[in-house]
Amino acid sequence: MNGFLAAIRPPLSRLARDGRARAAAVVLLLVIGAALLAPLLAPYDPTAQLDIVRLQSRPPSWAHPLGTDQFSRDVLSRLMWGARISLAIAFVAVALSMTLGILVGAIAGYAGGLVDAVLMRLVDTALSIPRLLLLIAVVALWEHVGLAALTLLLAGTGWFTVSRLTRAETLVVREKDFVVAARMLGASPWRILTRHVLPNVAAPGLVAATLGIANVILLEAGLSYLGIGVRPPTASWGGIIQDGAERVGDLWWLTLFPGLAILLTVFACNALGDALRDALDPRQLPPPLGDDTSPQRR
Amino acid sequence: MNRLDPSSRSRARRWAPLALAAATLLGGCKGTETTSGGAGDVGGTVVISTPGEAETLVPGLVISQGAREITDLLFDRLADMGDDMNTVGDKGYTPQLAESWQWAPDSLSITFHLNPKARWHDGQPVRASDVRYSVALMKDPAFGSTGTSLITNVDSVSVKDSLTAVAWFKKRTPEQFYDLVYQVVIVPQHVLGNTPAAQLKTADVARRGIGSGRFRLAMWQPGQRIEIIADTANYRGRPKLDRVVFATAPDFNSAAARFFSGDADMFEQLRPEQIAKVAADSQRRILRYPTLQYAYLAFNMVDPKQWTRPHPIFGDRAVRRALSMAVDRRAMLRNVFDTIGTLLYGPFPHALSVADTTLPQLPYDTLKARALLDSAGWLAGPDGIRVKNGRRLEFGLSTPSSSAARHQYAVLIQEALRRVGASVRLDETDFATWAAKQGSHAFDAEMAIFGTDPSPSGFKQSWTTAGIARDGANYPAYSNSTVDALLDSATASFDPARTRSYARRAFEIIIDDAPAIWLYEPPTVAGLHKRIHTTKLRADGYWSDLANWYIPAGERTARDQIGLRSAQ
Amino acid sequence: MRRYLGSRLLQAVGVVFLVTTLTFLLVHLAPGDPLGAALDRPGVTEAVRDQWRQQFGLDRPLGEQYLRWLANVPRGELGYSFSHRRPVRDVLLDAFPRTLLLVGLALTFSFALGIGVGVLQAERAGSPRDRWLGRVLLLLYSVPDFWLALLALLLFAYKIPILPAGGIVDPVLHDYLPFGRRVLDRLAHLVLPVLTLTVLSSAVIARHQRSSLLAVLPSDWMRTALAKGLSWRDAVRRHALRNALLSTITLVGLSLPALAAGAVFVEKVFSWPGMGMVTVSAIGARDYPLITAGVLIISVAVVLGALLADLAVAAADPRVRMR
Repeated sequence: MNGFLAAIRPPLSRLARDGRARAAAVVLLLVIGAALLAPLLAPYDPTAQLDIVRLQSRPPSWAHPLGTDQFSRDVLSRLMWGARISLAIAFVAVALSMTLGILVGAIAGYAGGLVDAVLMRLVDTALSIPRLLLLIAVVALWEHVGLAALTLLLAGTGWFTVSRLTRAETLVVREKDFVVAARMLGASPWRILTRHVLPNVAAPGLVAATLGIANVILLEAGLSYLGIGVRPPTASWGGIIQDGAERVGDLWWLTLFPGLAILLTVFACNALGDALRDALDPRQLPPPLGDDTSPQRR
Repeated sequence: MNRLDPSSRSRARRWAPLALAAATLLGGCKGTETTSGGAGDVGGTVVISTPGEAETLVPGLVISQGAREITDLLFDRLADMGDDMNTVGDKGYTPQLAESWQWAPDSLSITFHLNPKARWHDGQPVRASDVRYSVALMKDPAFGSTGTSLITNVDSVSVKDSLTAVAWFKKRTPEQFYDLVYQVVIVPQHVLGNTPAAQLKTADVARRGIGSGRFRLAMWQPGQRIEIIADTANYRGRPKLDRVVFATAPDFNSAAARFFSGDADMFEQLRPEQIAKVAADSQRRILRYPTLQYAYLAFNMVDPKQWTRPHPIFGDRAVRRALSMAVDRRAMLRNVFDTIGTLLYGPFPHALSVADTTLPQLPYDTLKARALLDSAGWLAGPDGIRVKNGRRLEFGLSTPSSSAARHQYAVLIQEALRRVGASVRLDETDFATWAAKQGSHAFDAEMAIFGTDPSPSGFKQSWTTAGIARDGANYPAYSNSTVDALLDSATASFDPARTRSYARRAFEIIIDDAPAIWLYEPPTVAGLHKRIHTTKLRADGYWSDLANWYIPAGERTARDQIGLRSAQ
Repeated sequence: MRRYLGSRLLQAVGVVFLVTTLTFLLVHLAPGDPLGAALDRPGVTEAVRDQWRQQFGLDRPLGEQYLRWLANVPRGELGYSFSHRRPVRDVLLDAFPRTLLLVGLALTFSFALGIGVGVLQAERAGSPRDRWLGRVLLLLYSVPDFWLALLALLLFAYKIPILPAGGIVDPVLHDYLPFGRRVLDRLAHLVLPVLTLTVLSSAVIARHQRSSLLAVLPSDWMRTALAKGLSWRDAVRRHALRNALLSTITLVGLSLPALAAGAVFVEKVFSWPGMGMVTVSAIGARDYPLITAGVLIISVAVVLGALLADLAVAAADPRVRMR
């Protein structure tokens, strides 16, 4: 793991000097803080219907700073609790897809030949189906897609680009003299993967992960907006927009605030990802085609 | 029909004389009008914004209300039901394709004399053989009509001469006339007859809509609109309107948006907040029309996996009653429909003659609900959810995602039941999946909506033991032999007063058994542009007299000047 | 070049085949009744359902259904859509040109806009102008597409009602208008969806364009151009841009799946009955033949786009051409 840390340290210190990255980090910490502390900070239970006749569909006021929805639930509380759901899904899904992508990419790159050809052809195929369309099809056709299944689906459709990245890196590393030497000395593929491949993938992988989180937040919001993501009464950002979408003209606070929350969080993630890439590669090379910064994103 | 919505009744009374006067004034123009913008009340275009599109224009294959509206305007029946929606005998029925009819002394056959002036839209005369074909087609299992089971008592039709058809019945029943005349729409044999019955649902003729009604089909642009225009030479007289456009929108919101932007003149199902907007609008007005639909939360009485066993939770009457008492139906009605909602008092909409809103109701009483659940053995567990014999009081509530009102009710009920220790899982699926589960009793509880027939026999379909079968509509599988017997007596009686009293006793038992939580009648409030003047509105379809709606010459807009010309 | 072309083509066909087989399996293995949406009213008997199933071959084994479908596709027979009650081919023939128009216009505008902005940024890399444009682009890149579409709808169709709320043309008057006004009507309906889609995708293109420009700027011929006395600005616009365009052509191909997906939300919010909306509503209605065919067409378009882009790059770039 020393190689991994060594690869990460200089860029991280460059990152710490980047104002853009610092601002993004502050925003993200605030959002994460609000999510973690929701049970303490949120004024109400996010699913409690306070008074379904007198408190429904109230615009923002002192008692309810972001208004109430048509079920008389406090929108601020739902937004804070929704952050927990949206962020948890994003972090877990991206962690899983990074792991899967690195594994598949390393196997393909290391094994080469037929294994490589088959795996990469599958990845090509997967990349030519719009991710959103695939997710909609699976989630809408199968009922009872719970939080765990939704997270797994988001992870299962997000590893393709990372696997290509890892494969390319593995191909390069495999031919390096010291790796050839290590192989001849009987080092296991696992050891070569963790010692030599991972440190080289770590930097671009971290960028992809940051951007991937932004991407998953957007996807989950999109699915929940279509009414097939996170199920009621659990609060999620896209779900709150969906609650208000039918009446966007008069319940604008249900569309505006969660939308801003999504925008702010995704913006911060993307800014951090950009800053990270610049820090990793000060010459500002273009992103490799097909990674998460290309328009493949959805 | 004694409980028809008051506002629509008064409107019907207000406009009827006006329409009559206008018709008299215009008598001379009838049938000679060929172009638009005619003087007086003849002319004009009405654009109706609808979410979703007609699936077919063959009446017997129609499933959705959208298609029903259009086929009702393009096609005729032998006779039209009266405004009181009587279903016993032929009282109140007025001639359509049949000028007159005679009952045989034993009532097992009725002879219909067709109107010699009646023509199909392609110019061919309407013949008795068309009547025979229409009945035979609807009875043909290969045709796959949704109405086949409704006309089992109609045996066949024989042709006496080209204008005389004799309908034969298997039994003498109170509703035999209604069965034939209301359920069978007359279609042209020379147009449809060349296609095998099994292929009609996909054949091109299914989209041509050649009927004998006062409107004819002008164009169908799939996914965009269906236009019907006045049949100027119609035997029942030219409609006052030139053109009715059914503008298809992909969903509810865009359909509503079209109405408010002025692209459409009418939108059928306003939401409460939209009603307030229309009420404050100088260009548009609200049009309430009666309905035969009612919505309820149904408890499945049988185990979804094993129909012979009672449901592990809802098999217990005390649990059903307790859960019913935990729901504040009035507050929810207020939440969802603001002030325009109508509370449901049992398995019947207000508009039906057998409806009775004085029947005793289960109270909203959460203390009593909790006590009942305690005594039924469901005791609060560590997380507040009740448990009995190791089973949590947890169940799915099957809801179609297409219905905003039912979604809202489902979320409200979920929270209300949580407060008495029951955990509800919202099973929201697309409409098709929801319907498939409903039909096979594959749900714990469901948000149901049911549109009954004008006839009280509709209850037998939904609340008797016979209706539990796959073809019936007793989705909760409710079974009570006393109710079965009472509803049988109610539909077999020729005396309306006795029908009502039998039905009342059956309803009382059903309400007490609590197979469902009776929620609401969907408020049917349309938005309408003020220049359009309506006539009578019937509960089985507000469009029944649409051919007589009119737009006074002085109030017409650019759209109304299109007239009868065809598109470029 | 010919061998490259051949193998590239073979690969594209293979990808399309895999995608459609996967879709067919996915759709048919999912729970639910394919006839549900068509026959979901009380009063539809089991006998009627069975009769329909038989007519559409839904009672046959899955393998047989798949083979029959496979045999029919090359003949343009894509089956019968239960939810539209029309042949799938007719439904898609209506929807496809609409999406093509929407996406084509958006693609054209966003390339013009994106490349322009990218050049503006790259020629003064690191300047305040570059930084501010970069922030705006990143913001647009981060905005949820359905939310942007909803805001546009709210603003220009409801609050300041200057544009139609949705649809392709005026649902009634269009066919009765004189030619000039019909064109105007069509354009008015195009503005909001094209604008939203353009804003969303030009952010992506501008970001890409800026970084590819920055990648070629330090090259030898740029130094030569500067030495010849060209100004920095002219050098960027004349030489660097032409070289950076190559990678942008590749982007055309690569951006197709994203545009297809972005179009789903834009089409939904603005009621634009194109491929995205048709396919998504087919999923809701469990219209198996339409879903399968919709995904087939979308993936063919996507693969074809990538293929054309690759071939264009190959034709333009001697290093690839030589292979």
